[in-house]
Amino acid sequence: LDRHQTLIVVPAFNEADHLVAVLAELAELAPGWPVLVVDDGSTDATPAVAREHGAEVVQHPFNLGYGAALQTGYKLARRRGVRFLVQMDADGQHQAEQISRLMAPLQDDELDLAVGNRFFLGSEYRAGALQDTGRWLLRATARLFGLHLSDPTSGFQAMNRAVIELYCGDFFPVDYPDLDVLVFARRHGLRIGERPTPMRAGPRASLLHHGFRPLYYFYRMFLALNAAAATPLGRPPRSPDR
Amino acid sequence: MNRTHPLGAWLAAIPPLPDRSEELRLSQLQNLELGAARPLIVGFSLVFLLLVLWLVRRRSLREEYTPIWLLAALSAFIVAVFESLLVALARAIGAWTLSSALFFFAEVFLIMICLHFAVRMSKLTLEVKNLAQEVALLKAEREQQATAAPRKRSA
Repeated sequence: LDRHQTLIVVPAFNEADHLVAVLAELAELAPGWPVLVVDDGSTDATPAVAREHGAEVVQHPFNLGYGAALQTGYKLARRRGVRFLVQMDADGQHQAEQISRLMAPLQDDELDLAVGNRFFLGSEYRAGALQDTGRWLLRATARLFGLHLSDPTSGFQAMNRAVIELYCGDFFPVDYPDLDVLVFARRHGLRIGERPTPMRAGPRASLLHHGFRPLYYFYRMFLALNAAAATPLGRPPRSPDR
Repeated sequence: MNRTHPLGAWLAAIPPLPDRSEELRLSQLQNLELGAARPLIVGFSLVFLLLVLWLVRRRSLREEYTPIWLLAALSAFIVAVFESLLVALARAIGAWTLSSALFFFAEVFLIMICLHFAVRMSKLTLEVKNLAQEVALLKAEREQQATAAPRKRSA
């Protein structure tokens, strides 16, 4: 289908080791799809590895954060007038073969944003008890905002132009875009849903959940949700006519 | 059966001290004065004023940031010179002493200025992020043009 109208965005910070496998898999399972690696100021060989494996590279002059790296991808997609964008992590957690599953509801115009769900029924993906509790809380919070998602923190997402346009805005967090961003998108009238996507246990899957991180995480989430809830319900932002 | 602890009974037997806090407060309020602090404040505010001007002169401090500091130095100077003004202010906020009134206003000022800078920093952070992204995108665009151009020529 329209692979030239789709951009695969892979934000990467010091991921040279894992990136090789990710890009190789993409080349095999999604041949010919343009891949953009946003290098977030890596100090290792990440940009070189990405170029070597046929990806286009945008390099941040210094480390800006995971969210900012994603947004750079959105901004490039907007400039190019790309119709769809798929984002996946560089750590090898997300499987390239699942991209078509995420893309299907967008191509059928059922959804504006499809989130890959790690925790569908029968999934082999396992998380720790603390993560499970946190996820349960998140799920309940999502429901409060009318979002029926079982994995709202998933970084594996596919979106259309309306979402790309919205996500280029200054509200987009530089660190970890999360449920608050989805709430923001929903309040702008965008259709959000999820699709089951089996994932490998990422080597950094539990990075967010150590020490005071979870506490800070929920604190920040509360503030961000508060801000997202303050945005009036509206229509989706108009995409530039092309 | 209501048994009281011996210590409790003993404490209850002590006659309460007369509450003289109101008397104390009034006596303090009658004698509000800065005393030796007065020339100190005058001197400090003048030195501070000169410091701000000097920082602007050697371009370490941007002019846009000076009004608030000059205002602070000036208000310190004014209340030290016109002590009755500070006395009125102290009475207005219910302070017992002039020093606590000064501390109160200084603290309010510092909190406000910290918040102001936090807001400014948030804005600067956003601007730096947007700039960095723009630089990254423009650089990538230029690289792409550089690799695409020769191909176009040969075609």
